[in-house]
Amino acid sequence: MDKFIELRLARERIVDVGRGAFASALIVLVAACGGGGKDATDAGPGPAPGPGAGAGPGGSTPGTVVDAPTKTEASRFLAQATMGPTATEIDRLSTISYATWFDQQFAKPQSLHRIYINQASADAAAVGAQISEVNFFDSWWSQALGAEDQLRQRAAFALSEIFVISFANATLQAQPRGVASYYDMLGEKAFGNFRDLLEGVTYHPMMGIYLSHLKNQKEDPVTGRVPDLNFAREITQLFTIGQYKLNADGSMVMGAGGPTLAYSSADLGGLSQVFTGLSWYAGPELTDRTNARFFGSNANIERDWRPMQDYNQYTPNTSFHSITAKTFWQTTIAAQSAPDTVGDVKIALDTLFNNPNVGPFIGKQLIQRLVSSDPSPAYVARVSAAFDNNGSGVRGDMKAVWKAILLDPEARAVGTSSSAGKLREPVLRLAHMLRAFNADSKSGRFTGIGLTDDPATRLNQTPMFAPTVFNFFRPGYVPSGAGLSQAGLVVPEMQLTHELSVAGYMNYIRTWTSIDTTRDIQQDYSAEIALAATPADLVERMNLLLFSGTMPDALRTQITAAVTSRAIPAPTLPPGTPASGVTPTPTNQAQIDAAKRDRVYLAVFLSMASPDYLIQK
Amino acid sequence: MSSFNASRRQFLRTASVVSGSVGAAGAPFALNLASLGSAVAQTAPDYKAIVCLFLYGGNDSSNMILRTDSASFAEYTRMRATGQDPIALLAPGTAVNAGAARASPARLGGVLPIVPKFTVSTENAPNTYAVHPSMPETASLFASGRLAVLANAGPLVVPLTRAEYTANSKPRPQALGSHNDQQSTWQALGPEGVKIGWGGHLGDMVASANGNAVFTSISVSGNAVFSAGQTTFQYQVGNGGAAAIGGITGTLFGSTTASTTLRSIITADNQHLFAKEYSSIVSRSINAQATFQSAFNASTVTAPTQYFQPSTGNNANNGLAQQLQTVARVIGARSALGAKRQIFFVAMGGFDTHDTQNASQADLLARLSHAMAYFDSALANVGGVDLRNNVTLFTASDFGRTITTNGDGTDHGWGGHHFVLGGAVKGGEIYGRFPIFGLNNNQDSANNAYLPVTSVDTIGSTLGRWFGVSDANLDTVFPNLKNFPRDLGFLKPG
Repeated sequence: MDKFIELRLARERIVDVGRGAFASALIVLVAACGGGGKDATDAGPGPAPGPGAGAGPGGSTPGTVVDAPTKTEASRFLAQATMGPTATEIDRLSTISYATWFDQQFAKPQSLHRIYINQASADAAAVGAQISEVNFFDSWWSQALGAEDQLRQRAAFALSEIFVISFANATLQAQPRGVASYYDMLGEKAFGNFRDLLEGVTYHPMMGIYLSHLKNQKEDPVTGRVPDLNFAREITQLFTIGQYKLNADGSMVMGAGGPTLAYSSADLGGLSQVFTGLSWYAGPELTDRTNARFFGSNANIERDWRPMQDYNQYTPNTSFHSITAKTFWQTTIAAQSAPDTVGDVKIALDTLFNNPNVGPFIGKQLIQRLVSSDPSPAYVARVSAAFDNNGSGVRGDMKAVWKAILLDPEARAVGTSSSAGKLREPVLRLAHMLRAFNADSKSGRFTGIGLTDDPATRLNQTPMFAPTVFNFFRPGYVPSGAGLSQAGLVVPEMQLTHELSVAGYMNYIRTWTSIDTTRDIQQDYSAEIALAATPADLVERMNLLLFSGTMPDALRTQITAAVTSRAIPAPTLPPGTPASGVTPTPTNQAQIDAAKRDRVYLAVFLSMASPDYLIQK
Repeated sequence: MSSFNASRRQFLRTASVVSGSVGAAGAPFALNLASLGSAVAQTAPDYKAIVCLFLYGGNDSSNMILRTDSASFAEYTRMRATGQDPIALLAPGTAVNAGAARASPARLGGVLPIVPKFTVSTENAPNTYAVHPSMPETASLFASGRLAVLANAGPLVVPLTRAEYTANSKPRPQALGSHNDQQSTWQALGPEGVKIGWGGHLGDMVASANGNAVFTSISVSGNAVFSAGQTTFQYQVGNGGAAAIGGITGTLFGSTTASTTLRSIITADNQHLFAKEYSSIVSRSINAQATFQSAFNASTVTAPTQYFQPSTGNNANNGLAQQLQTVARVIGARSALGAKRQIFFVAMGGFDTHDTQNASQADLLARLSHAMAYFDSALANVGGVDLRNNVTLFTASDFGRTITTNGDGTDHGWGGHHFVLGGAVKGGEIYGRFPIFGLNNNQDSANNAYLPVTSVDTIGSTLGRWFGVSDANLDTVFPNLKNFPRDLGFLKPG
């Protein structure tokens, strides 16, 4: 029997015993393995799959062990694949396989942010008020914290950081329902095909506003006016191909003079002609598509969330879409006698979609969003391969991509290198904390978090509020710290990290740590308070829920001592009562309760503040 | 002076780093700085600051500073007065049409003339110039001689003619037209991924003059590669100054010892490189905060007024002016911070005006103009001292924009016009050949963009010389400087 199986059996024996016994047994087990939670991965990254990893996109490999992960493994997986592990979901996943979990998640129905906004809008109207982007933030938190389709939540958030639109744009700030529907679209297409995702992004009116291809018109040789190049450039540079030609493993294709450019400005010029002639959804009838609606007046009431429409062939005015020849990469659309917007867009999107760069370019960024900042080239190559072919000959199957990312041996093994994993995103830290401690909303609306941008007092990040289409941080961001740049490492999330924002984060998360009954969103610490009298168990629960088993021993010792330092007063029995079967005086009980809460707050806050937590390994 | 010894120690430490990296060139410079001492401070403050004001998104500077002589303006009008919401501004003297749409060229009225002295770049002399109609303060600063125009500037590798560009016979910067890469190239002379910016690199060269190197390079607008040097890091503050991490002293959740534990946990060294970097930032944040904040709190300058927002007709808060107020307050705290040479970074976004440029850019330029005027006035009285001669601000942006319009906006270009502001600026001048507007009738444009005539290297080197950095060190900071003039002459010596 090899060591791996031995450990697995040991774990299975522990699972069913009581919580306290489980914790202490695990501590023994961990100590025997010489490190926090790294027991399952002594083989290190490599071809040996971790448990469940056989359930890759191509199905189970014969002979591999496909069974339930341990609780620690489940917690780590859920930290990567969801908005944060909960005790309930850890327990559940540890009784099923990753493959089953994926199947269940793929089948979960989607809740629409647009519907939430509609309700908020109606409620606001009833009291003479208006909705704003804050209503979307509330909806976002309601799903992040409460929705069951957690893989979709995490996937949509990751996609929203590649296919960026933002409330920072003043025009979009006035369109909360439109932005909500864009986010819904990302969530819907996240489990479809990348080609459909690209189509959804291209035709969504909020993207049309954000990258200004809504109302974009063809060139005018008389005045020298040219089509707006914005969307053509960014769909190429940011959404599909990237600046440089890539190998399947994400490395750059090197030419004589260095990296090889993936496109030229002439390609972008040709592509910009394609994205002309689209504008607001006008209505179901072709005759709805009037010049007035093209230019934005006489609005259809659903135009903020319905896909944009092409106008040219349906009105006498054919001035919007370019009919001259369009060349991009090796594709040429010949000059046309009549405009064909939809046909041209299809050719353009097919061309972009089929470019071999897409797999490594998008795949690596999704790995960075979920698992690690600096994945090995082999890991990127495996994800690229899943993008190129889901095992059934289909390119762009996003379900296969998520599985390839999350079930890869490199994702399932606890990294032991000094650059494994990633810095957790500020917004995801708060989500993680609130989910771990079963936060719920008193009103059912998850209000009160709102804009969390201020680096001095909040998170330096708000969902759907990136400063530009280049997201909150760049995939290639290199912090100036000497150790990192010399090691050639990128740490995208570190772009949000500086002297001011580290203070803002810690102060903000400290206010969230303690219960404030005036807040709409409330944690439920009852499971933790039950452990307050036994600090080691309480801290072990932090290790499971927040660190996914990776809490270093030294940190455990420090936090346990700090928790213990908050003394719980001894019960003071009312005079004349027997020594057993009685409760303390009310005052005394309140002091005991306060002390227990403080112990929980200390365990939570010291964990959330520690750099060992902040790096998701 | 108590800070002098600290300064000496810092100097010795940094000097060895600098000379180690640039060879013999570092030593003479370092000696020169050491000799600056504090004697001068008795009469005039020995203090200089460079402020980078970055206009994120790529400013359409063709609508910010214009040639109004008929040869250029007629072509400008012909090419830009087209589309659904034409972006062509109107000729000087055109009356405001109060009935026109807000922020439209007609509502703004004609562009505002500026009259250069033409003692430099005399080739510009026959022509007439103006600024965007929402920039009256800028026109005044130009007239007062504290603001100059840097015409058609941008990143270059070598000087490039139109013919050389078309023939692709000489090297050019990588990834032209790409926001992130050109931001990086303006700030750090290379595309995204370059780790050392020329602001921070200049900081490396002067940090030894400062009593506390932490306060050498300060950003009020988030992480920007401009501010990062080899040994100089960017210290981030907000409009409230630095933020203290709560709970590291006193009682934390009922425990008197847990606060010590917290501080230990968040500042401890770590084997993981990301965690190590994180905790070093936390340590820096904690260590610098008290010093910074007490100095900052003691330094006050008059707050900015609101600015007039053309797109709404209302007055609104000016976030850029507030950033510059923070800079002025830090400058006011220079003695307490032990600072003699400082690099600042401030920024505003929104310049990527592919569409609705009339409204967007009018607001942005109104804000820019109002903020520059505010900064000029604030520096005139920083704690009772006029520091305008000690501080030079320059604008930078991803790129200029296309010459043509797409109907209500413009696309990514290359060269663009910029401002330098300060009492040390030889203002009221245009530095560098100002291009005639148009696609094909001049040597300065190609591919619908302006080919820069002044390189970023020359701008940086001119600022660096004024800052007191030796030519040898400037060659280190700007490796391509050998291909360009090293001093554009827009700053008074000293």
